[in-house]
Amino acid sequence: MTPMIDIIFLLIIFFMVAAEFAQQARLELHLPQEKGESLNDAQNTGLVINIRKDGAIILEVDSPPVTIDALDERIKAAITGDNAPWESLLIRADQDASTTTLNEIFRLLNKHGLSATRIATEVP
Amino acid sequence: MRFSSSQKKHKLNRAAVNLSSMIDVTFLLLVYFIVTTVLPTPEDLLTPALKVEEGTSISIDDLDPQIIEIRLQDGLPLYVIGSHLCPDRESLAVVLLSLPTEPGLIVRVNNEVPVAFAVAAIQVARDANFEKVTYVPVN
Repeated sequence: MTPMIDIIFLLIIFFMVAAEFAQQARLELHLPQEKGESLNDAQNTGLVINIRKDGAIILEVDSPPVTIDALDERIKAAITGDNAPWESLLIRADQDASTTTLNEIFRLLNKHGLSATRIATEVP
Repeated sequence: MRFSSSQKKHKLNRAAVNLSSMIDVTFLLLVYFIVTTVLPTPEDLLTPALKVEEGTSISIDDLDPQIIEIRLQDGLPLYVIGSHLCPDRESLAVVLLSLPTEPGLIVRVNNEVPVAFAVAAIQVARDANFEKVTYVPVN
């Protein structure tokens, strides 16, 4: 009986930890359902820019929305001294959000000299 | 050898450790965490190039001849390529397959279009083997 109890306790710990990490890692958004480019490097990111359905820009989970000006500063800090700065940014936009905010952010990225961007998709 | 009654009772107590309740609770906890845990869904990426039209200094010819414009018409998103009007991604894919892939593709996205449609256009272009897909935000 003892080994079974040990295994069950280990399973409980696994699910508790997994639940905690799942909550902390990413802001919950309904990303566009696309297969993407199979790059598999969505985790290799310095700054993650989340766009909620209502257009609010969120940089960290549990943080309040930021303004475009504040985002400007954060992008400036994130890309300093990087050889391929656009690869250090990731945009996660809700599929139902309007492109108004997305377009504003892209203009900002372009202003900072970024020639490309990374948009997250949810693999269906 | 005979044991006294108190010794017998002591031995019985030591043997009667019952784990059933603890196992029940543990199983309930396990079931709770299995049911409530939401593992993160797999994510991938699209990596379009970026270009911003500044005033009228950049003409369409300077950018590229192959342009998809995504705009809202009667409240519904519409993909426009030249004279082709594509209401959905399937018809867009058919048009893109008839275009040469070497020059690349410009995706001009107007404000107010849902993000899903802009991303779908980039995905369809990638699926049609366009190596260079450029996102151009439009006011």
